[in-house]
Amino acid sequence: MDSAYFQYLNYAIYGTAVLVMLTGLYAALVKKSLLKIVIGLSIVDSGLNLLIVTLGYLKGGTAPIFSSGYNGTQTMVDPIPQALVLTAIVIGFGVTAVALSLVIRLWRHHHTLYIDEIKNLKW
Amino acid sequence: MKKILVLLLLAVVGFYLAGTFFDIGFGNSHFVKNDAIKPVKDIYLQQTVQELKVSNAVTSIVVNFRGFDTLGEVTVLFLSVTALGSILYKKRHHVGERSVLFSASSIVTSGSKLLFPAIVLLGAYVFIHGHLSPGGGFQGGVIIATGFLLMLLAYENYSVSHNGLSIVESLAGITFVGVGLLGFMNGGTFLQNFLPTGELNNLFSGGIIPIIYIAVGFKVAAELTGVIYTVLNEKGEQNG
Amino acid sequence: MVGTPVLFIAIPLLAAFLIPLIGMVWKESVRIIPGLVLAYLLVLAINLLSYVTVNGPIVEVIAGWAPPIGINLVFNAFSGFLVTIMVFMGLLVWLYSYRFKSNVEYEAARKYFLLLMMLITGSVGIVLTGDIFNMFVFIEITSISGYALTAFYTGRDSAEASFKYLMMGSIASVMLLLAIMIIYSQLGTLNMADVASKMHLMDPKLKAVSFILFVIALGIEAEVFPLNGWAPDAYAEAPGPVGAAFSGIVVKAGVYALIRYTYTIFDLSGAFNLLIIIGLITLVVAEVAAIRQEKLKRMLAYSSIGQMGLVLVSFGIGTKEGVFAALFIMLNHAIIKPLLFFSGSYLVYHSKKKMISDVDGIGKLAPLTSILFTLGAFAIVGLPPFAGFWSKLSFLMAAADSNMLLVIGLILSVSVVELVYYMRVVNRIFFFKRTTSLLTRRPTFNAYVVMIILGLMILVIGFYPDSVSMYLHNAANSLFDKSQYIHSVLTATIQ
Repeated sequence: MDSAYFQYLNYAIYGTAVLVMLTGLYAALVKKSLLKIVIGLSIVDSGLNLLIVTLGYLKGGTAPIFSSGYNGTQTMVDPIPQALVLTAIVIGFGVTAVALSLVIRLWRHHHTLYIDEIKNLKW
Repeated sequence: MKKILVLLLLAVVGFYLAGTFFDIGFGNSHFVKNDAIKPVKDIYLQQTVQELKVSNAVTSIVVNFRGFDTLGEVTVLFLSVTALGSILYKKRHHVGERSVLFSASSIVTSGSKLLFPAIVLLGAYVFIHGHLSPGGGFQGGVIIATGFLLMLLAYENYSVSHNGLSIVESLAGITFVGVGLLGFMNGGTFLQNFLPTGELNNLFSGGIIPIIYIAVGFKVAAELTGVIYTVLNEKGEQNG
Repeated sequence: MVGTPVLFIAIPLLAAFLIPLIGMVWKESVRIIPGLVLAYLLVLAINLLSYVTVNGPIVEVIAGWAPPIGINLVFNAFSGFLVTIMVFMGLLVWLYSYRFKSNVEYEAARKYFLLLMMLITGSVGIVLTGDIFNMFVFIEITSISGYALTAFYTGRDSAEASFKYLMMGSIASVMLLLAIMIIYSQLGTLNMADVASKMHLMDPKLKAVSFILFVIALGIEAEVFPLNGWAPDAYAEAPGPVGAAFSGIVVKAGVYALIRYTYTIFDLSGAFNLLIIIGLITLVVAEVAAIRQEKLKRMLAYSSIGQMGLVLVSFGIGTKEGVFAALFIMLNHAIIKPLLFFSGSYLVYHSKKKMISDVDGIGKLAPLTSILFTLGAFAIVGLPPFAGFWSKLSFLMAAADSNMLLVIGLILSVSVVELVYYMRVVNRIFFFKRTTSLLTRRPTFNAYVVMIILGLMILVIGFYPDSVSMYLHNAANSLFDKSQYIHSVLTATIQ
């Protein structure tokens, strides 16, 4: 593959992942609704996962799965980030579930999701 | 005002973060700069075929090389289900009916009934073949949980037994730790493989890896279903 | 040897998965099993610690793959010392809450004890693990249990405190993962010892970036200013024993992680100064904030943050004496702060707002609790015959050896502030007239036992500081000997 093209891909892919993370962070910091904050946090997680998976890519690489007749370990992409991202996704899911349950609890007490009306969450 | 400040902050963070990763570079094997660094991934890839006879290198890492992480990960899921129950805990007589805005049409209900077994079968296929093809316990478990989600959405009075879920969850967890401890007692280390590894690309290969991944599949399916069920049964307050 | 470090993780996990099953047939088991597990872990920890003192560190290989391939657990004098404290405190917290929680229903009790056990297991895991990603997993186990325990009471504010904690925690985990991946992409390994031995090969710019990310992420766990916004709320809203567990156990794990990264993994020269600076800022800000608090538990929380600042300064001195002092402060804090939380939560038991003014004149109504609280207050301030005195003294001597006169001056003046706000409470307890009509609550038998054990420990360490100094010296030496750590991990074999 052409290396100049690959350089653009570098910017495009890492740029996208970082942009996704920043979008989520923006939502988590600026939005007033608890639900949107939780969504923002999980968008940050998605961006991060994208970033981690791309880090393991190898130019012209193949999936790290062996099949009969194909055992070229040199051309396989790095399997470790993929394994780590699996863990990160599951943990992100767990945290999101807990966050949503907290949102439900806050809704029970305050009947609102807007942080301006919940005193301790203003900071 | 706050928005502008946040945007500025994010621009700075994004600039440095993106810069860092542009420096690292995309798609090269990151270690060529220095010969002194022997990345562990090469060892992982080699040993996956030679020692463990597992086709899917990601599975061998998740379940064996870094199996301890996965045990922690399964625990995180288990804890988040427990946390969900504890945070949303109400005394029993407060638990009400699910709030349903409108009931599903008969096309949806019969379609779901038709699809449900197929979804569960697909999920089981994915986690049983976790060591041979892409997929595994987590993915298969999630697929099965989507089947239950479909049923819960289609039938407003569809219910899952809480006790049943927690029995499945516990047994699967005990299997995971138990298999780990068996490796320990066989004179090896925790989570060490003690079964014959068989031949590459066979269903019965990889020693304890498929056993653990099947347990993980059951556990994830039960836990995700539990999360969905708990949140769905949270009764909407009337005076909102 | 009677066991191996992996049992610290495997046994609690097995118990956690078993509890729901056994609980279906025998309800009382959900309270008893966590206690049995913690008692077993304490025996294990003491045995292993005495083994390690004689025979050198234990490096446990997991899944049969020797480092750097697989994950490993390291039980040396330093981590073993912390694990022993944590498990011991965990057992006391369990004992304290055993009756404290006897009035809640089965379902809630099951979840409470399960989450408490996992909170302790996660902290122990953070200390034992020898793998940077595995540490992330344990941090998440600890945090999720922490979120749930903070929101355990269904009162109005606990969910808010927990949500705050959760937001900070998830930002921390994002940063931690970023830092881990930067290191992985450069060095191709996740094992701590392997990373440490290859650290000099890393591009300095990337090294700095990942170090900063680590400090921010772990600073949130270790309650470093300005990342500790969650802590006072969480301490104040969580049930009393959970507050004690946070300050006695969880924070220790956070500090451990921070220290492990600065001392062993990274070889940055400016890191120690950074520790001193953030430690001093944390200390000053927390103590000044503590004096302005009107709620008892929030005051204790800020005091806890301040103590952690002191620990960081002490680690930042960078000499063996400094590390010794830091460990001594950590040990004392782990004993004293839970005592203050336990006795304090009984002093304001029936009060709705838990204000400091609610303790006025309670000394006559609940003398033993008040005396225990006073003992804790004297000890944490560092008055002579008690435990806190020796740790502060060794800290001052370590700082004086390194000619850090400015630091000494600052610490002494902050200590005066500390003295003022603790004495204010003690003064109120004994010399003020009771103005409220609130009833006092007699602590349960278990609570008395726990508080008296802690009080006795304060006295014993106060009168015989030598009884612990051997372990502290061993721990300090083992933290300092970086090359020995790397060597012992990388040459580990399956035992």
